[in-house]
Amino acid sequence: MQIPLSEILTLTAVGLLLSTFGVVLRRSFEGWLSAYRYQSIILAGSTAVIAYETGYWEIYAAAILTLVIKAVVIPRLLVSVTESVKDEFKIEANPYVSIRLSLLISALLVALSYGLIHETLVSTSLGVYALTYLPVSLSLFFVGLFVMVSRRMALNQVVGLLIIENGLFLFTTALTQGVSLIIEVGILADILVGVMISALLLLRMSQTFDSFDMASLESLKDD
Amino acid sequence: MTSFAADLMGGLQLVAVFALAPLLTGIMRKVKARTQKRLGASVFQPYYELSKLWAKDEVVSEHSSWIFRSTPWIVAVATITAALFIPVFVPFSPFSAAGDVLLVIGLLALARFFTMLAGIDAASAFGGIGTSREMMTSSLVEPGLFLTIFVVSLTLGGTNLTGLVGAAARSGAVIAPSMLFGLISFFVIVLAETGRLPFDNPATHLELTMVHEAMVLEYSGRSLALIEWSQATKQLVLLALLVDLFLPLGMPASINASLPLLGLGALAVLLKVALLAAAVAFVETRVAKWRLFRVPDLLVVAIAVAMVGMIFFYL
Repeated sequence: MQIPLSEILTLTAVGLLLSTFGVVLRRSFEGWLSAYRYQSIILAGSTAVIAYETGYWEIYAAAILTLVIKAVVIPRLLVSVTESVKDEFKIEANPYVSIRLSLLISALLVALSYGLIHETLVSTSLGVYALTYLPVSLSLFFVGLFVMVSRRMALNQVVGLLIIENGLFLFTTALTQGVSLIIEVGILADILVGVMISALLLLRMSQTFDSFDMASLESLKDD
Repeated sequence: MTSFAADLMGGLQLVAVFALAPLLTGIMRKVKARTQKRLGASVFQPYYELSKLWAKDEVVSEHSSWIFRSTPWIVAVATITAALFIPVFVPFSPFSAAGDVLLVIGLLALARFFTMLAGIDAASAFGGIGTSREMMTSSLVEPGLFLTIFVVSLTLGGTNLTGLVGAAARSGAVIAPSMLFGLISFFVIVLAETGRLPFDNPATHLELTMVHEAMVLEYSGRSLALIEWSQATKQLVLLALLVDLFLPLGMPASINASLPLLGLGALAVLLKVALLAAAVAFVETRVAKWRLFRVPDLLVVAIAVAMVGMIFFYL
């Protein structure tokens, strides 16, 4: 049975949105990382679909790089950095916005991004990838931003940043059908270095304050 | 097909629902036991339990009122009536001209309402705990349930259940994205409605965790048999509704199909419901019961996912 292209695209879009909800729903670091890992795998899959349809080998390479770096290297790196931290500091016990409210807000943000894209792009003639993936990438961006500002744990900020980056990656891939490979590699290297730096900062933070609570950054050292 | 034959088919369907409901409970218990490396009782164990309960004497508290005594019958009758509205095995339900999916929800809510009253009626502390927990869950299930129904009704057209199941069967194997979101939220809601883990543990009598069991703790004998049978029927009907609406593969689109096709469709539904029940049992083995105040989180997932389903419908 031949499954039409738009069905596959929609299914991957649904998967990306659901994994984003997974990050919002979960309370533990392992939960966020596994949701992020699923999201990256689906992202690599949708990139591969675009590559198959357009036939550029560079996009295949980008898909493989995404799979390796985002689904394997970055989660491993974060897990190994936080290994020495006590488990109770890896749980978001007291977020600024409660989990259930953040879920509802995320759903509204998804609605907002679909509304925005359909208001602005309804007249332009974009490809099927752009029409399917642009709202999704905007939702990833919004929800990642929301996760960053609404949680206390520094680990959550890193995961939020990674979601935003996934959204941007999807944005460029859907809109341009692949920028040149050099730039993709550069972006991925950037992200890797960014995660490494934030991991180092997390390590410093856990050594100094004995927790990842962002609120403790506001107090002076000698208080 | 003449209307008499169709009605006969609907009657047969109702009998089959009642006869097979305890078997489904048995299958779920068996799968759960095997996934936990236990041997488990035979899948026919619920039938033995029900027949034994039916023959046993009943103890009724002298402090209870007529509500306590009439509740099992009200629950059973409401569940039977709800089952008459739902096309389970064939795409036809005898009462479908008289009411739609909202009436089914109302009937199930009536049964639940009287169960809650009976829980308070005997004035035991456990009944009160169970009732207040049930009230909290059921009031939170409602918005998600209605949003899901909106998604399904908008996508398939109408709220008449026979029409909905027929439309789902016509849409074939390719599933609309809004229905995909509807499937996820409906699955969460079915777990909550039938009192499975993470919401409620049907296999426990520990006071800290029970919800439905706490409400019916005072019942014994024939009344308990009625309540358990109604619960099993509700479970079968809801799981079958999920299968018929969201995974309609093999279901003929109307009652006018040939007899072998209808039989094949009924067999397919049976198989799919059994597989779904096994999946629910797997989920129950995988997750622990959630803390009561985290239950709203999961129900909000259903609401949020159904909302996104609505967005996908309006694309």
